[in-house]
Amino acid sequence: MIVKMSKVEIAGPRELLEKVLYLLQESGHLQIEPSTKGFIEKKDAVYIDSFLPDKGTMSERFFLEDLKGKIDELFSYLPKIPIKKSYIDPRPIIDTISETLQQHLLSCREMSQKKDTLRKELAELDRYNIFLDSIESLLNGLRRTPDTDLIGLTLRDPESVELLNKFLTKQVEGKFDLRTSTASDGTIVGLIAIDREMSDKIKSTLSDKDIPEFKFPFSFEGLSFFQKIELLRKRITGICSDIEALEMQLDSFATKWGSIYERVREWIGESLSVLNAAGSVFETRMCFLIYGWMAYEGVDALRTKLSSDFSGKVVLEEMEISEEDLDRMPVILKNPLYFKPFELFTKILPLPRYSSYDPTPFIGIFFPLFFGMILGDAGYGLILISLSLFMIKRFKKKIYVSDAAKILFISSLYTFLFGIIYGELFGDLGHRLFGLKPLLVERRTSIMPMLYFSVTVGVVHILLGSFLGFVSAFRRKMKREALCKLLNLLVIICILFLIASLFGLFPVLLTRPIVLAILFLSPFLLFAGGLLAPLELMKSIGNIISYARIMAIGLTSVLLAYVANRLAGMTGDIITGIVVATLIHLLNLIIGVFAPTIHSLRLHYVEFFTKFIEPGGRKFEPFRKEEEISH
Amino acid sequence: MEKVLMAFAAALAIGLTALATAWVQSKIGSAGAGALAEKPELTATIIILVAIPETMVILGFVVASMILFGG
Repeated sequence: MIVKMSKVEIAGPRELLEKVLYLLQESGHLQIEPSTKGFIEKKDAVYIDSFLPDKGTMSERFFLEDLKGKIDELFSYLPKIPIKKSYIDPRPIIDTISETLQQHLLSCREMSQKKDTLRKELAELDRYNIFLDSIESLLNGLRRTPDTDLIGLTLRDPESVELLNKFLTKQVEGKFDLRTSTASDGTIVGLIAIDREMSDKIKSTLSDKDIPEFKFPFSFEGLSFFQKIELLRKRITGICSDIEALEMQLDSFATKWGSIYERVREWIGESLSVLNAAGSVFETRMCFLIYGWMAYEGVDALRTKLSSDFSGKVVLEEMEISEEDLDRMPVILKNPLYFKPFELFTKILPLPRYSSYDPTPFIGIFFPLFFGMILGDAGYGLILISLSLFMIKRFKKKIYVSDAAKILFISSLYTFLFGIIYGELFGDLGHRLFGLKPLLVERRTSIMPMLYFSVTVGVVHILLGSFLGFVSAFRRKMKREALCKLLNLLVIICILFLIASLFGLFPVLLTRPIVLAILFLSPFLLFAGGLLAPLELMKSIGNIISYARIMAIGLTSVLLAYVANRLAGMTGDIITGIVVATLIHLLNLIIGVFAPTIHSLRLHYVEFFTKFIEPGGRKFEPFRKEEEISH
Repeated sequence: MEKVLMAFAAALAIGLTALATAWVQSKIGSAGAGALAEKPELTATIIILVAIPETMVILGFVVASMILFGG
């Protein structure tokens, strides 16, 4: 439902403005209107100006914005850990906090920069890690004499190892030791132990042959291979422990100061929000004036609160709502417990105008009905009821999932009910096992009756939508549009009567008067709706036929269930039969959840709502604390 | 012969509309997939848009049903 709104004006002495704004922020019921359009008469406009903040307020605002920027920067250096909520009042100690913040910001910035530098170095050294891990096994049992030099290599493929072996045999006549190992990323790491006097020549030849030696950091120059490896390991371990120490320091800082700074940031947000709201306030020589919108039900409570807190100096007046205001009025949707979950479906639609209707109750009534009519199987209904109950219990805190589960639960109840009406329990299994018979109609064989039934549902739905469209236009005093919608509605009814009499449902004698009525109404329809009126009429007829999908998709569901049972029977084996039937029924159930959902929604969004919902409503955005907004 | 012609007419009614629907859905589907890559919040709207041309095949189905069972 669209909540009834009030247009209000709050007036009081200028010196009380800040306190009034804090009270309004605390109550969170008023949407402040930054424009006087529609709130003051032209003759009064000369006495009213936008509120101009004084020098003190401006400097306070700049100070708070600067402080907020610094706190944001501080938090960007700190780890994201859960922090306790603080309830201190920062106002009396804000100067001390500002000074302390400066020191904290410097030290945290320094620690963070140091950590970043170390991380960068670690990332550079990380590429050596793969080499080090593989080389470790190759070093075991290797002779460590002063005459021996070691050359580390990375090789592309196993063939290169063979070629390298041949090359070394030729060059140093077998006086070498080549060891290889495959690293975790698939690279082949090689280690050549060779006489020192030969090593420079070999290194240069290897480089020419495009087998580069593994390069250590430049600062390691002059050290032996073993020393390089040892130093590399030490450096990596050292960097890791330095980073850990810095993280611990930042962590402990966040634990100690995080909650205080978070509270200060929250308070600054509230104060800045009040200072910003002051920009939407108006003033006369002595008074301030706040214009806005709020829910009608909250007006009395706010009026009393303002009057009692400010000893009657601040007053709230309800203003008369004009025709033009209807387009500007913000919209709040509030629905009873049953309809609440269905807001999930209406949220994806644009907000309706204040003078229009909330689509939620309509979708809450018709969606489960259509879902049940399409799926209509007692067995599937029972499974979906259990599944939805489990989901409601399991996902209590996840609002969207919980709402979807509630919608599924209601829809499953209708599925069960229509299953009984159609006499279906896992297709014809109920009939085979328990002799279950349809109460009204058997869908599988009654194709034409089901088609008429579906189209009849469409007739009722579309006529209801068209009637609501007429009422909506009439309420907005748009006479021509209202007349067009009414004539459209009457012509549709006449066409339906005509079809019914042609099919023999009404006496044939009625045909002529109905045709005459259509001919009589047509010029008026063209006059009211213009040349597009006949097109609109045809669209409505098309919309009604579109409801045949209720029967069509339902038929596919029942036939698939029937096929599942027949196939299971044809296997001739009880276990195989159960497996086959379960798999096909499961597939049918999955399709049976998605298809009716999408098609029922489509019938609402495309066929039904276009008849009477006017999109383009303004969202109600009350002036309140940030904490409440996030909730 | 009459039965064969009726079956053929019904097949044409449902077959041609199904092809038309499939063609339109392929266009909307590919455009929708592109839109979803940029704006995932449009998921529900895209699903509805894809479902819109199904009216054609539903009308085809109604005509086919009338041909086969209406007489």
